[in-house]
Amino acid sequence: MVLYSFYIFDRHTECIYSRRWTPTPTPTRPSSSSSKAARPPSTASTVSSSPTAAAAARAKAVDDEKLIFGLVFSLRNMVHKLGGTDDTFLSCRTAEYKLHYYETPTRMKFVMLTDTKLNNLRPYLHQIWANLYVEYVVKNPLAPVEHPGGIGVANELFERALELFVSTALPA
Amino acid sequence: MVVFALFVISKSGGLIYNREFHAGMQKLGSNDLLMLAGSFHGMHAITKQLCPNPPVPPSPSSTPAANLAPSPFTHRPTGIEVLETSQFRMQCFQTITGIKFLLFTEPQQPNIDPIIKKIYELYADFVMKNPFYTVEMPIRCEKFDRGLDGFIKLRG
Repeated sequence: MVLYSFYIFDRHTECIYSRRWTPTPTPTRPSSSSSKAARPPSTASTVSSSPTAAAAARAKAVDDEKLIFGLVFSLRNMVHKLGGTDDTFLSCRTAEYKLHYYETPTRMKFVMLTDTKLNNLRPYLHQIWANLYVEYVVKNPLAPVEHPGGIGVANELFERALELFVSTALPA
Repeated sequence: MVVFALFVISKSGGLIYNREFHAGMQKLGSNDLLMLAGSFHGMHAITKQLCPNPPVPPSPSSTPAANLAPSPFTHRPTGIEVLETSQFRMQCFQTITGIKFLLFTEPQQPNIDPIIKKIYELYADFVMKNPFYTVEMPIRCEKFDRGLDGFIKLRG
């Protein structure tokens, strides 16, 4: 069982927390058409200096966040249209990965990308929200009510508890 | 077994066939269906890009067919294959030419792959071999309709 990444989106469509367990892709990999801008200049594949590579990886990560939000948003809308408003989007799978989705009543979206062999992780995402997010972020007196740019979400307690939860509830 | 509906989306994202077999999903107008098909086409492309681990092509020495000519089709990530919701399950099968077959079934429906392969077969037999059918155009082939009806009823 492999976990690839985990994202929390707030109700303003912003990614307030993201966590990746995969190594960042190397810029030498022939990337798909969209990341042309992120690709270093032609000869730089082996000698690319680390700051540009890091910046490219960061840009790719931000792009991924936006793409994932757009994807779950449109899939959710499609599901509502086809199945009625009381239908909920649970997960979607490709040959390479599976995307698990949980939405709280306050429209926060929890998304996790894993390998394809897992069953639905919705109960686990609910646990993360109820036992970790509410405990360590919402009840934190120093965290703001909203989290523009992810302020206050990635605090030490939450990070540590998430790491512990993932390693115990979803052992590799 | 309950199969709710079948959509066929052309390689450019247009809805070329839609058919409802069983009530259970929302009734939608043809404009809504066209819009859904188009947006699904886009989402399918996005899921391809999001692939967190690019698949490694099988090394030529390890495969038994090493002495065959290399495949002309590069190994690339697939888009959405299964979408699960609380009320239905959607299986998407994309042919190598880019046509997508979307089959909507009950949430816990096993063995959809052979059904979708059979539908592809019916498509190949009754649509592609129909001399009056132009590709990328809406499918209006009576034999395809009848073949689908017979097949789905037989399975149900």
